[in-house]
Amino acid sequence: MSQSLRPYLQCCRSSLTAALAISNFASQTSERHNVPEIEAKSSPELILNPITISRNEHEKLYSGLTCYPDIEPSVNSVRISLSIKQADEIEKVLVHKFTRFLQQRAESFFILRRKPVKGYDISFLVTNYHTEHLLKHQLVEFIITFMEEVDKEVSEMKLFVRIPC
Amino acid sequence: MLLLDYQNVLIQSLLTERFSGAPPASIDQVVSDFDGVTFHLSTPESKTKILISINVKCFKELVQYGAQEVLEREYGPYIVTPEPGYDFSVQVDLENLPAEEEAREELIMKLALLKRNAMAAPFERAFDEFTKLAEEASQYTSESAPQGVKEGGDVMAIHYREEEAIYIKASWDRVTVIFSTVFREETDRIFGKVFLQEFVDARRRVVTLQNAPQVLFRSDPPLELEGVPGLNNTGEGEISYVTFVLFPRHLTPQRRYENISHIQTFRDYFHYHIKASKAYIHTRMRKRTADFLQVLNRARPENEERERKTASGRTFRVQS
Repeated sequence: MSQSLRPYLQCCRSSLTAALAISNFASQTSERHNVPEIEAKSSPELILNPITISRNEHEKLYSGLTCYPDIEPSVNSVRISLSIKQADEIEKVLVHKFTRFLQQRAESFFILRRKPVKGYDISFLVTNYHTEHLLKHQLVEFIITFMEEVDKEVSEMKLFVRIPC
Repeated sequence: MLLLDYQNVLIQSLLTERFSGAPPASIDQVVSDFDGVTFHLSTPESKTKILISINVKCFKELVQYGAQEVLEREYGPYIVTPEPGYDFSVQVDLENLPAEEEAREELIMKLALLKRNAMAAPFERAFDEFTKLAEEASQYTSESAPQGVKEGGDVMAIHYREEEAIYIKASWDRVTVIFSTVFREETDRIFGKVFLQEFVDARRRVVTLQNAPQVLFRSDPPLELEGVPGLNNTGEGEISYVTFVLFPRHLTPQRRYENISHIQTFRDYFHYHIKASKAYIHTRMRKRTADFLQVLNRARPENEERERKTASGRTFRVQS
């Protein structure tokens, strides 16, 4: 990790840890249901303010990392969406291929959402079930690693597409 | 880097086996090659007489550009009347083979290169035309040259695939070969673009490649093709054009043969690389996904409750 990235990732880490303070919460609208409130959006009182971590408003995509998160917390679930930098056609293709590849395997990545939230490339949905059964700090660590690696991977793949020639 | 063979390997191995003195057997085999070319190897009369027929989609066009002469030159005594359904046939008699080992091998190679030789005709014609035009042009200065010499010959089009074609144009100082390629998929198009861009860049970057033919890449028809019928320019960027400019140093008689072979395999080579890059990226993604999963699995608490058994092997679950 480069030195300039450290504070940025630290910020992501603490925001994520704070957002993941979630607990079991049964649905208010239908009896015996328990759904992630951030997806159901059944009542505004259960949803907290979304957080976007970026250096400034205009440079969302260039916040040190080329990948920035948008965190939407609620009472029993948190949705984390990532945008990945796509500077040119080839990067667009690679990001699309890669995220699609991951999403097809969402079953084994228990917190991965099968479809990204509109406007983003890939999304995670962490529910109280996950925080209860898995180690919370490792979940945060995973998302941070993911952010770092995905970026690196795309630029490496881009290089390699040209090298075999 | 992989370079494709120019000959058809299946025909080559089949004939090598036959020529090696193995007991004659009847053959009936259809062999397909790149660009929708099919071969038919058979022994219709007797087991010792092997008939090799080729079917090329654009044979009519090739004949127009002198394929018959080229093939007659290459296969002279072996030519027979074409088998119905095929464009051109040669027949070899196993009892009448050249005596020396080397000559036999040469014959096998020649037969395996049937497709290459059939497709070579327009190139050879263009190269000859170039020589003629160059001679003519040397008599004039660039201003006083008559239109015909200045502009060069006609564009020869070979529609070797459904929607793709090779265009060859000779002029007094160069021969231009243009490939049109169709990309069905957006991804392929982008990969192709990156790959072709590298052709252009590598030539500029690497000193040893300075002598290589110039390669140009664009998605609209080049000016050389102006007025050529049958160009369906949809303007959607589906069709790309790759132009090779062969300069006199590539057209010396010693180099011609090699050059024709190389240029013919360009399309196959190009598409092979797109596929190979995609496969490579796929393996990378697979590996990366496994890495991510490993990181995520760290989040699983280690001392997970395992199923416990009694001494007699029965299992039970603690009621929570």
